[in-house]
Amino acid sequence: MKILVCVSCVPDTTSKVSFTEDNKFNKENIQFIIGPYEDYALARAVELKEKNSEIDISLLNVGLSENDPLLRKGLAIGADRAYRINSEPIDSNFVAHNIASFINKNNFDLILMGKESIDYNSGLVHYLSGSILNIQTFNPVTYLDLENDKSVIIKRETDSGIEKIKAKLPLILGCQEPIAEWKIPNMRGIMNARSKELSVIEPIEVKASLKLDKYTLPPEKEEIKYIDKDNLELLIDELKLKNL
Amino acid sequence: MSALVFIEFNKNTISESSSQAATIANKLQNDVYGLTSNDDEFCISSLGSKGFDKIFVIDDFNNYSAIEEVINKNGIKTILSPSSNTFKELSSKISTKLNFPIASNVLKIEKNGKISCSIFTGKAESHMINDNDSCIYLLNKNIVESQDFEKKADIIKVDSKVSENSSFEILEQKFIEEDISLNDADVVISAGRGLKGPENWQMIEDLAKKLNAATACSKPVSDAGWRPHHEHVGQTGLKISPKIYFAIGISGAIQHLAGVNSSKTIIVINNDPEAPFFKAADYGIVGDAFEVVPKIINSLG
Repeated sequence: MKILVCVSCVPDTTSKVSFTEDNKFNKENIQFIIGPYEDYALARAVELKEKNSEIDISLLNVGLSENDPLLRKGLAIGADRAYRINSEPIDSNFVAHNIASFINKNNFDLILMGKESIDYNSGLVHYLSGSILNIQTFNPVTYLDLENDKSVIIKRETDSGIEKIKAKLPLILGCQEPIAEWKIPNMRGIMNARSKELSVIEPIEVKASLKLDKYTLPPEKEEIKYIDKDNLELLIDELKLKNL
Repeated sequence: MSALVFIEFNKNTISESSSQAATIANKLQNDVYGLTSNDDEFCISSLGSKGFDKIFVIDDFNNYSAIEEVINKNGIKTILSPSSNTFKELSSKISTKLNFPIASNVLKIEKNGKISCSIFTGKAESHMINDNDSCIYLLNKNIVESQDFEKKADIIKVDSKVSENSSFEILEQKFIEEDISLNDADVVISAGRGLKGPENWQMIEDLAKKLNAATACSKPVSDAGWRPHHEHVGQTGLKISPKIYFAIGISGAIQHLAGVNSSKTIIVINNDPEAPFFKAADYGIVGDAFEVVPKIINSLG
């Protein structure tokens, strides 16, 4: 069975966000990580491989060479090979078309992504890729197990609850905790990762549908009003003012 | 020109998110159409008052071909939708098949094609320009107040059946039983590790009941299993933007703030005056939650 794990490389969750004068994300002093949701996806793929050594895991990222150390980390965690589509991830539509084009050329049974990338948060890449490829997509998926090499059992959160589903492969899944426990690479994994293949692929052209004008930081909050814990009237009045 | 709004219902009432989408649609286009899978006459007959001129009733939001036909036949180029997963999936299909641009986490739409979106989980905004004649907008909640309209909506039943899908089978469905869903609540009462243990959540639930609010929690709390995972709000959990957000015994780590910072009013209760959450708050009470929360409940009567 061939599993593809698509990962984003994003600023650490504690990062302070700022932009350069030419409207780019300011990467200075920023620690980049594999997106937390994709980290769950990769961890689950590796867990499945631990139970069935015939599973082959490929890692895919759309990004520049600065992401290679993170892809090596993914290989150290347990992926067998990595591919990097050599471009900035311009927008969801661009990333989805590039992922779809890659999947079209390399067949996979199961394609795992994160629920969303935590930088631009569109939460659309899995759905868009699924639509381009006509592959059934589920998101967010909190449980995944293989039934046989043709179908899986998953649980997904819906707008009103949780569904347990038996689904035929191929599938695209947007993963979320508690699908797996995050994995930290061990020394053997790190040594092995050095000799694993990391291929660089040139991107396909995708017409940008929306043009970026600029980035801004949200307006500053007004000064906080402190309320005395022994005199809560102000708070109660405020709540009543809001019809509560 | 006309705009189409995807309508979701909460217990037979149109959701606030869909009402807000209709209010925005009325600012952008003269004719506002709604799309729903709810065929209950009683529920849909009053939708004119929310700003709809026509309501298309389909059997299922998974019935893509029927929806595409509604879009094509009615010359629809503008689509506005709440950001639920069902609608995100549907919007993605429309975007790729009909070549409509798509904008997620939308905060503001202007008539000249300018769109503002929330990015980095609310830590920044992107401002985009759309020079196409079409667009799908996935809206953040509470970016406008919904308005009432004096319209009468025609109801059009779209005649088609969803084709049987054999690629998957639903084995089991569990519905989360909560009176108010976290996504839809105007008021959210959220608590963190400051509450010391799951046995202390009664007062949080009591306050929530008083204020008709949903309950939420921080990541450490759901990780420890004190509260269910679906209550976790923050960067890697649910992102919410209620009208009022109570943060009780939550220090305000940057990852938590990211998920809640677009709330209209933030009220922080914490016994540590240095808690970073106070920097993001509109109102702050420095004090012991076990003392302050019961006092608030009492004062509310």
